[in-house]
Amino acid sequence: MIVTINKVGITGMGTVSSIGNDVSTFCNSLRGGKSGIKQTPIIKEPKISVDLAAKIEDFSFSDSIDRFQNVSEEKYDHAKRLGRRAPFVIQTSIISALEAWFSARLHDNKPLPERIGLIVAGQNSTQNYQYDLISKFRKNPEYLSPRYALEFLETNQIGVLSELFGIEGEGFAVGGASATGNVGIIKGYQLVHSGLVDVCIVTGVVADLSPMDIQGFINIGAMGGKKYIDQPEKSCRPFDTQHEGFIYGQASASVILESEISATKRGIPFLAEVKGYALNLDSNSSANPNVNGEAKAMLSALNQAGLSASDVDYINTHGSSSPLGDKTEAEAISKVFKDHRSDLWLNSTKGLTGHCLYSAGIVETIATVEQMRQGFLHPNKNLEIPICKDLQFCGTAAVDYQVDVAMSNSFGFGGINTSIVLKRR
Amino acid sequence: MSKEHVFEVVKNVIIEVLPDIKPEQIQIERNLRELGANSIDRMEVVTMSMEELDLKIPLMSFAQVSNIQGMVDVLVENYASVESN
Repeated sequence: MIVTINKVGITGMGTVSSIGNDVSTFCNSLRGGKSGIKQTPIIKEPKISVDLAAKIEDFSFSDSIDRFQNVSEEKYDHAKRLGRRAPFVIQTSIISALEAWFSARLHDNKPLPERIGLIVAGQNSTQNYQYDLISKFRKNPEYLSPRYALEFLETNQIGVLSELFGIEGEGFAVGGASATGNVGIIKGYQLVHSGLVDVCIVTGVVADLSPMDIQGFINIGAMGGKKYIDQPEKSCRPFDTQHEGFIYGQASASVILESEISATKRGIPFLAEVKGYALNLDSNSSANPNVNGEAKAMLSALNQAGLSASDVDYINTHGSSSPLGDKTEAEAISKVFKDHRSDLWLNSTKGLTGHCLYSAGIVETIATVEQMRQGFLHPNKNLEIPICKDLQFCGTAAVDYQVDVAMSNSFGFGGINTSIVLKRR
Repeated sequence: MSKEHVFEVVKNVIIEVLPDIKPEQIQIERNLRELGANSIDRMEVVTMSMEELDLKIPLMSFAQVSNIQGMVDVLVENYASVESN
């Protein structure tokens, strides 16, 4: 029997974020250490105490989509029609998915519709949309838009994106709390690797939190932003002794996963290969991380990749700026990488983008791939006094560095641990 | 409330729901389906028109409506009954 190894890689990427509304701007912001975290005016009632966030500011769907008109008039018109009156979380998904689709050149050279899959990495993405409708609904339930029945479902994203791109293979939405993005990439990898599809688009949706959701994160003690309330850019401090919790960020991010056979046939290069992954649970209903669970995820991902710890050059950490989370991840990295721990480089993209929650894993995969491709490591902008001395954290300025093998971690409430291993092409 | 005014309100709602339609295409004897509206668009035209006119009419009242004229008639009828109450 001939066993062919179905390699899976990334052939397209797209993003809308607080530090860039396309991959190239996003990448320049990473290199320049530009932070998207600002004081944001609180306009909704009731007012909540933390107003620091890395939001997608002044987003205009019609302006964002105009740049695609020249690429494909037909897709542009279709996208405009689907997104014009859609909620913010749908509009941003359309933009990031279009950029990824076009960058993989799927508009002029795509597999059969049933050979393309779609995974939406997002959960509870309609919370703020619902929150905004509540007061009107309480007064006049009769005037609720019939579109609501479509739009409050997470899978509206599936309907919209599959119609836009003519996708007829497997499609579904996944959730994994803060690890949702990585869960999406892992499920997409499995679809492509198993041969169920040749191409799979994975779109991470914006976490459009309602004031109630933000208050919940404050009350559970997960959110930072108190010490540095007047210096927003300094508030997100992964692995720094002054870290105090995550800062909320917004981004939609999409990647195209594709089999090597399909990419070769289409003449499209891999931007990076997905070498391995792991997704495991701590059997824990609470919010606390677990050093063994995290170490297990990293080790399993390496095993699956057929690599040893010493092959890894760089980790894009989960690094959310949570005191317990950072400490636990640092311990888990030491446990897995042992003597090699002081040779591999670590940074946290969340220091610049805030914690993009559902899309974080995809945002950070794009950050990892771009750093590998452009040969640099982005700064840990606010890392002044690291919580441990035996790990090698990137400093406060970007450095030129060639990474061949990278790992990207994401861990979520409910004991959800994920790790993926990427290789430069 | 005149029929003309109600038609004007409905027309503006249709333009908002169906952006590809030119205002001159919206004539009272036409039906929304031939203007490119799917079933959700049509329901939305009804709910948004009711909201604009500050009316609450059971959606079943529109079940027999076959064109814009029919929809305007139901809205006008109900508007009249609100006024006479």
